[in-house]
Amino acid sequence: MPGAALEIEGLSVRGARGRALLDVPRFAVAAGTALAVRGPSGAGKSTFLHALAGLVPAAAGAVRWDGEDIAALPEPARAAFRRRRVGFVFQEHLLFEELSAPENAAIAALYGPRAGRDAVHGRGRDRLAELGLDPGETRRSDTYSGGERQRIAVARALATDPAILLADEPTASLDRANADRLADELVRLAHEEGRTLVAVSHDPALHAVADRVIDLADGRITEDAAP
Amino acid sequence: MTDLWFALPVGVQDAAIALALLLPALGIGAVALRGFRVGPLLRALLRRQAWISVVFTALIAVSVALGAALIAQERGLREGTARAAEKFDLVVAAPGSEITAMLAAVYLQPADVPLVDGETYAEIVAHPRAELVAPIGFGDSWQDAPVIGTTADFAAYLSGRLAEGRLFARPYEAVAGARVDLSVGETFQPAHGHGDAAQEGMHDVDYEVVGRMPMTGSPWDRALLVPIESVWEVHVLPNGHGPDWDRVPGPPFDPAHFPGTPAVLVKADSLGGTYVMQAAFTDGETMAFFPGTILARLHALMGDIREVMSILAVITQVLVTAGVLAGLTMLTRLLARRLALLRALGAPRRFVFALTWSYATTLIVLGAAIGLGLGIAATGAMSAAITARTDILVEARLGWREVHLVAGFVSLTAALALLPAWLTMNRPVMSDLRG
Ligand SMILES: Nc1ncnc2c1ncn2[C@@H]1O[C@H](COP(=O)(O)OP(=O)(O)OP(=O)(O)O)[C@@H](O)[C@H]1O
Ligand SMILES: [Mg+2]
Repeated sequence: MPGAALEIEGLSVRGARGRALLDVPRFAVAAGTALAVRGPSGAGKSTFLHALAGLVPAAAGAVRWDGEDIAALPEPARAAFRRRRVGFVFQEHLLFEELSAPENAAIAALYGPRAGRDAVHGRGRDRLAELGLDPGETRRSDTYSGGERQRIAVARALATDPAILLADEPTASLDRANADRLADELVRLAHEEGRTLVAVSHDPALHAVADRVIDLADGRITEDAAP
Repeated sequence: MTDLWFALPVGVQDAAIALALLLPALGIGAVALRGFRVGPLLRALLRRQAWISVVFTALIAVSVALGAALIAQERGLREGTARAAEKFDLVVAAPGSEITAMLAAVYLQPADVPLVDGETYAEIVAHPRAELVAPIGFGDSWQDAPVIGTTADFAAYLSGRLAEGRLFARPYEAVAGARVDLSVGETFQPAHGHGDAAQEGMHDVDYEVVGRMPMTGSPWDRALLVPIESVWEVHVLPNGHGPDWDRVPGPPFDPAHFPGTPAVLVKADSLGGTYVMQAAFTDGETMAFFPGTILARLHALMGDIREVMSILAVITQVLVTAGVLAGLTMLTRLLARRLALLRALGAPRRFVFALTWSYATTLIVLGAAIGLGLGIAATGAMSAAITARTDILVEARLGWREVHLVAGFVSLTAALALLPAWLTMNRPVMSDLRG
């Protein structure tokens, strides 16, 4: 899996009534890096991840992944970029409650290219198993616990074999042992498989294993260092 | 090309039209769903909105049922009344309302109509083109069955072969219609009048049932056919014959002892003969008419009503469709969070479009199918009720017209469902995702 390099230039994201949510003059991440993002609540961490995925429009500036400025793309092209390259773990997990865990994990098989469908199903099941969930379960995903749902969301993000993994508090609902396991696994995905990981997290265990940790406050990067 | 089309059997033409009407929906489906698997999410959405889905489907079903039932019912009624009048080529009556005379003579709905006298009756019988001429006499009933006086020849003509027994050959014998609850050998005493006004015990006579008619699909199935002479006698009228009558009922009647008949049922030797006789007896003293023509006029009138009903059915359908679409648009708002999630995950907009469209179309197709079934059931029940009340056999079956209506409805609404689908496709992802 060739990773993707990130380069941000003059990025500005604004919310309702022009409120500045994010201001990143210059920022770069090498392909295959495990980057952790931390900061107080409301600092703009989720907004940062959304901007990296092309989910929020930029008021100004560029977000380049491997040189391609996704901020300049129209929405269908940004969706295609997410579909092909990004695995996203939402802060609220956001599963399809009526579907089972394996159906959720392999959701991309419903709309992705026909040729890749079996692979998506296979990876979805494998990831569920790796994360300690039974890939044969058929019960609705809303019957799972919070931590289990979080792991289903991680499996879904990984089922498409993405070059870029954007995870918003992926270990927040997990117990210590599970959180440590997942943190190690995410970093391994970057180090061994070359994926670029950007994980928003309050979890010191994740900070400890990441290559780089940045601090966000009021929509600005205030610290940028190796742990 | 047109020759080829008209050379096809009607059933094939109708099936082709139905298919052609469905084609737009199928085409839209094929294009919209190409490359996607909407099944699992479609089921999830239907389950998530189970109640709303059920209500929508029911709404569509009821409107489709209404349209289909109206059309099927009207056709069944038209065919049924025509079938009941089939055997009545020409009716001669005293001048007055043709419809009243027809209702009395053909559909046995008696009314006070002036009588045709013996002289005129003899003239009709003597006409060279006349093949079968019969008087008719009302007035009595047994339970719900009217007792109708006529001749054995007419009874034979009406029933074709008897289902059982023989025709009446003596004054107080009777032939029972297929729906009369009397078997051969049983006797009955007629009451004077009909229904609630019937007075029992006024006539101290007993008829014996000697034969039973097969089903004719007309009000005559409920009737008891007896010699007209007995009806006259029971009402203390001359019996149509001179004093030296041998008491074998039937023609010839003696004009001097003929009490009159409200209508004369005539069969001429041919179609041409029927017209000749109609002309011959349309004068100041009598009117002669073809029940078939009267019916055709009534049906033509009903045809206008039918047009109005069809238009009403279509308008109802369109209104329901508009309501359904408005509802669907709101419904898709309820689904907005799920749809936004799909787009956030990278699903193409066209997938969200396909999902919303197939959700709407599933409700439409399901509703239309249930509606068609409901329509058939409703027509069946209505037909049975009409048959029970009028004894006119109304058979309402699912016809191609209804299928075409429903197929057109499905295609139209499936096309209209593109609108809410298109609207969902263009909604902002992030604000929908926040909910
Ligand atoms: N569309 C918007 N319009 C206005 N303000 C917004 C908008 N989206 C986010 N915000 C605000 O921007 C700030 C950053 O939000 P964000 O969700 O990125 O925070 P966060 O760092 O992820 O916080 P948490 O740790 O609580 O998840 C918050 O104050 C939030 O209320
Ligand atoms: Mg957040």
